[in-house]
Amino acid sequence: MTVNPNPNPTAASRAPRAGARAVLAVSGWLALAATLLPNAFPLRWPPVLLFVCLGPGLALLHPRPRGPRPGTRLETFALAAPLSLSLAALTSTGLFLAGSFSVAAFLVPLAALTTVAALLPGLPLPAATGTAQSGGGR
Amino acid sequence: MQHHQTPQTTPAPPRPTTTPHPKAPRPGTAGPPAWLSPALLVLGLGLWGLALPLVDFRSMEDYGLLDRLPLPFYASLVVLTAGFLVALRRAGTAPGWPLVHCVALLVALKAAPAVLYDAVRYPWASKHDAVVSALLGAGELRPYAGLSGNMSAYDQWPGFFTLNAALVRAFGVESTAAYLNWAPIVLGLILLPVLVLLYRTFTEDWRLVWTAVWIFQLANWVGQDYLAPQGLAYVLHLTVLTVVLRHFVRPGAADRLGDRAALDPAAAGVPPATSTRQRAIGVLVLAPLILAINAVHQLTPVMLCVVLAALCLTRRYRNLGLLAVTGLITLAWDLTMGRPLFLETLATLKDSLGRLTQNSRAGYTGQLTGPGPELAGRAGIAMALAVALCAVIAVLARRRLTRSTLPLLLASAAPLPLFAVNDYGGEMLFRVYLFGLPGAAFFAAAALVPAAGGARRSRGALARRRITAVALPAVLLALTAGFLPAYYGKDAMYYTPPAESALVTRAIDRMPAGGLLLATSGSFPQALHRYDEVEHWWFCEQDPAENERMLVDPARYLADRIPPGAAVHVVLTRTQDVYTAGEGLLPSGGFALLRDRLKASPLFRTVEEQPYGIVLAYAPSTTTPGGAS
Repeated sequence: MTVNPNPNPTAASRAPRAGARAVLAVSGWLALAATLLPNAFPLRWPPVLLFVCLGPGLALLHPRPRGPRPGTRLETFALAAPLSLSLAALTSTGLFLAGSFSVAAFLVPLAALTTVAALLPGLPLPAATGTAQSGGGR
Repeated sequence: MQHHQTPQTTPAPPRPTTTPHPKAPRPGTAGPPAWLSPALLVLGLGLWGLALPLVDFRSMEDYGLLDRLPLPFYASLVVLTAGFLVALRRAGTAPGWPLVHCVALLVALKAAPAVLYDAVRYPWASKHDAVVSALLGAGELRPYAGLSGNMSAYDQWPGFFTLNAALVRAFGVESTAAYLNWAPIVLGLILLPVLVLLYRTFTEDWRLVWTAVWIFQLANWVGQDYLAPQGLAYVLHLTVLTVVLRHFVRPGAADRLGDRAALDPAAAGVPPATSTRQRAIGVLVLAPLILAINAVHQLTPVMLCVVLAALCLTRRYRNLGLLAVTGLITLAWDLTMGRPLFLETLATLKDSLGRLTQNSRAGYTGQLTGPGPELAGRAGIAMALAVALCAVIAVLARRRLTRSTLPLLLASAAPLPLFAVNDYGGEMLFRVYLFGLPGAAFFAAAALVPAAGGARRSRGALARRRITAVALPAVLLALTAGFLPAYYGKDAMYYTPPAESALVTRAIDRMPAGGLLLATSGSFPQALHRYDEVEHWWFCEQDPAENERMLVDPARYLADRIPPGAAVHVVLTRTQDVYTAGEGLLPSGGFALLRDRLKASPLFRTVEEQPYGIVLAYAPSTTTPGGAS
């Protein structure tokens, strides 16, 4: 939520980011593995819920370029769940439209997307990728 | 998107820092001790936890849950409010505490039913549960099936239901009933950072941000945060709006707001402008969200188009390309997946267009009746007026803030003209209120949280500060007092004992495919169990005057309207009794009269009778000539 005074992260700051990306990369597969547990087993809930609500969105948005724009972390956190749930809703809708829904068919594409996205830079939201000229207006 | 600006690679100039930071404590002012806010938080949550076992929700009567909530519950809300106000004073040095208090408020306000109820809260949530179960049973979407009661609409905008179907299977539970009472908490937690981000776009004053979030939570009594498409679509809508407000500022749209001196001390600088190419990429990033909104809900895409069109009235956000893409996605969905209901709605538009008073009426037909529902209705209106009044005061009194926050004001006012279009089944009033609430809460907060900073020490500024020092806690407590009847005053309609739902389930399970289920209204759990196999007729959901005529001879009235050869069962339950009385569909004692007359009629035979309700079968073969009682 604050401006990072150092736009070039050091090796020390890169390490946690790499750790976070690794966790994100495997989160979908962990959720998929959790569905192998018996029905209604309480341990199925946390990995599935966390992944579906946050996984794809966080992977797509993280890491964000650290520029002069404040609120980057807040923005990543705020947009992650809506983006994740949008992708999950579109995936499930597509599967039901095709009449080919299953838990694996739902989670595997999302997990694969999350893994790939976790290895790439964050989505280029316009104002985070450099600016045109000063804003303003009515 | 059609404006061609050359992208610049130079970073935006750093935000001027001449204004004293609103979070910084004033020199010489001793703030509250650091431990006070956490201590009040723990005390508040402790009281709430102690209160829950004392809530006798099974004996709810006229006032719903309101008079079943014990004193410690009310005390917990007062203590949490006090803790929040203390945390607010230290928002600069300890920004996490207002956040924790806002989460605690969400839990304290809305988690009680999730913790306590042994059944689904809200009959409509049960309806959505039935849709998910039917979807899982069918394994596919059937948007053109033409099911009775427009139930196919749920397959035409199915995103929320397919998502929940996936969650049900992934969790390994039987149905959404396993978790649906927690929907207000989950949706509230997802919405909270989006709101914070939205407000932070327009103000640097964290006190204003958190107060607006607090007011939003208190004023969000309209009950659209249950397990329903609107709840999710609303979050997605605000997300798109927030991204647009932060990332779609057009370059060179006047520089007046770039001058810090022209801004309210609490206002944030205008977000950096972006080039056409950057915004085009932004549209691609937003496309899944916009598509998901269309997949989830039929009304929200219209709201989004209206809001984006309103933003185009400002030079800052005149993004016609984004508006066109959003409109095209909406139209494409409506003409394909949503085609049946879309065309039906278009056909009725000529009747509803311009009928402002009719479209803005609350509810479906009758008038709220009984102490609880009437109090709930009055509390809701009073809260809406209070928030609107505070917002108007801020809009007029803090004009520099209004100028820089004009896009949020426009976005909140934009849905108002929809009153002129359609009544959305008596729901339009509540939906317009819901979509206007983010802006209204922000400006209401602006009226209660004066601009910080030591530059202005005039007598007027000091007086304003003294007034708001009293007004802020008073308004927050008043809104809390209004929230409780508005949200819980009708819970006798919303809680149905499991035994009653089991009676309904058994009754519908007995019916053959193609049978016809009759009930006074559809607002009871399991009403739509097997809705893809069983037709239904909610025969009291009509003009109350017609219901009075029906009560003269209900058996004959129904018999005359039942299709020949239909296998008909009538289910009359306690929840229907409460609902038809509370919503004014039947006069006092009308439900008992209906039940007694149908039960005594030779046209109907009793299949099952329990303390919670009765199941009757239509048996015309036993009729004596002229025979209804």
